[in-house]
Amino acid sequence: MTERQPEMHERRILGNELLWSFGVGVLIAATLSVIVFTALTMGINPPSNVERVDPKVLHLSGEFTEHNLGTSVAADGSVTARIIATQFMFVPRCIAVPHGRPVTLRFAAPDVIHGILITGTNVNTMVVPGFVAQVHTQFTRSGDLLMPCHEYCGLGHSEMWATVQVLPESAFQPDRDGRVSCAQR
Amino acid sequence: MHSDQPSATDSPADMHDGVDDAALATVMRRVPLGAGVLAGAAVALLVLGYLLIYLLVFIPRGTVG
Repeated sequence: MTERQPEMHERRILGNELLWSFGVGVLIAATLSVIVFTALTMGINPPSNVERVDPKVLHLSGEFTEHNLGTSVAADGSVTARIIATQFMFVPRCIAVPHGRPVTLRFAAPDVIHGILITGTNVNTMVVPGFVAQVHTQFTRSGDLLMPCHEYCGLGHSEMWATVQVLPESAFQPDRDGRVSCAQR
Repeated sequence: MHSDQPSATDSPADMHDGVDDAALATVMRRVPLGAGVLAGAAVALLVLGYLLIYLLVFIPRGTVG
């Protein structure tokens, strides 16, 4: 081996490493661009609501009292579902939501940390005592979707699940108080 | 523990592996290309999988925020 060869090899290796670093940098930039583009144009981003609520009086006053739980349609037509996540059930056990309309889901927990996801959708959030977990979404298909607790919350965790009933617009009919319940089947 | 067997901690100068310098130089010229192709193919598959899941699963599941 001559004296110059090792130096040439090192230059070639350095060139390859710089090329690879450039390629990886392009990939990372492209991935971040996709995330930002999706967030800005399609409104897809992690739920980031920070709103405090007193877990000790959750059932006594405020929006999470029993009669106010479930789905309600406001005068302006906006749809909000309020759900309590508690050991080891969701209240209510079934949530009716409309297909193809913006929906706001609001969760609160009086006891321990829970988490929810709705199968087949991008809805996924933690439910932490002391805070209201809020998710804005729009359901793209009708039918019954499973909503399990996905954060281990105790011995009954595996029994903690609810149903999200996505109703077509024709079946999503609020009553006089603006409330919508799951259809009996 | 002492052993008469050569180990990875022995000085390279003390070991003879039967490969002459010319053959080593030939291999070293070709190895980076193969490593690049292998790593490039692995990363390309990873990116392809990411894009497929993103476009065919994540986006159709609807907005969330």
